[in-house]
Amino acid sequence: MKQLTKVLLGTGLLVLAAAPAHAGEKIFAAKKCDGCHYTQGPAREKSIADQLAKKGPELWYAGSKFQKKWLQAWLQDPKPIRSLKYNSLTADNPGGHPKLAAANAKAVTDFLMTLTSKSVKAGVIKPKKNPKGRLIFVKKMPCSGCHAFPGKKKFKGGRSGPSLVGAGKRLNPDWIFAYLKDTNEFKPVRAMPVFKGLLREKDMKKVAQYVASFK
Amino acid sequence: MKMSKSIIYTALLCSFSLALSAPAAAAKVEQVFKFYCAQCHGLEGKGDGPNVSKTFPVDPRNFTKAKEMEKLSDADMKNVIMDGGPSASKSPMMPPWSKTISEADADALVKYLRKLCNCKGKGS
Repeated sequence: MKQLTKVLLGTGLLVLAAAPAHAGEKIFAAKKCDGCHYTQGPAREKSIADQLAKKGPELWYAGSKFQKKWLQAWLQDPKPIRSLKYNSLTADNPGGHPKLAAANAKAVTDFLMTLTSKSVKAGVIKPKKNPKGRLIFVKKMPCSGCHAFPGKKKFKGGRSGPSLVGAGKRLNPDWIFAYLKDTNEFKPVRAMPVFKGLLREKDMKKVAQYVASFK
Repeated sequence: MKMSKSIIYTALLCSFSLALSAPAAAAKVEQVFKFYCAQCHGLEGKGDGPNVSKTFPVDPRNFTKAKEMEKLSDADMKNVIMDGGPSASKSPMMPPWSKTISEADADALVKYLRKLCNCKGKGS
């Protein structure tokens, strides 16, 4: 009898623990977020046509990619991250991403933060401005050609990639490194070059530290 | 007679599939160009992609300028596509695509760029 009580209690606790994420998943579907964002990995894109058919970024590793606090706030007041419309080189981003009320944003954030990738190892990258990372980002490699970045110089970066202004608040530093290292695992088809085999891992770490320091 | 008939059928089949695959290949390389290259070089290859602002550190090559394009060999172009601008003492804003696109796509891109400039390369 005691054992049965324990099992029932345990099951109840498990259900309670899982409840918030489940609630967020229901809201995610009810608000039709899944019409533009898929949440089940691994990555599905196999061709340029597959990528171009997507209406918004994949979220199956959102919990590894984003910072929770930023995500919850953004869902309530979404501002464009890309200067151009998703998958377009000619149309400006019109904005207008649907907003969620505070309670819904919290529930959806809790759900999205459960979506993680094992390829992202925690605690590897600490945000840090560093000359090597800067040198690679701005001069040695073409990162700034496509990504807006914060700085005092006249050139503020390109427009075709997502802006990295505020990346230190938006992105998980460990994800930045994991994405540079295993780009194809997260985005098998994207307009950014693969740097694996061209940049050493220790240099990727420097770049990730540098990008994670962007305010 | 039987033999010659089968040769004719095979030849017909080959030419039919070639006729089908040529436009498909053309459509594919155009898609590759628009997806990867147009960000900086522009959808028509005129060097005016959306990344190119007044403060952009370099002028991306305008592929429609035959005079400039004639100075490059096909090998030069493939080299820069795969290994990036610095491999030819050009800007690092031109990325190295060797880990991203296939050799076949790079070869197709070189031919596509030749169509854009309507010119032949150095040494060809």
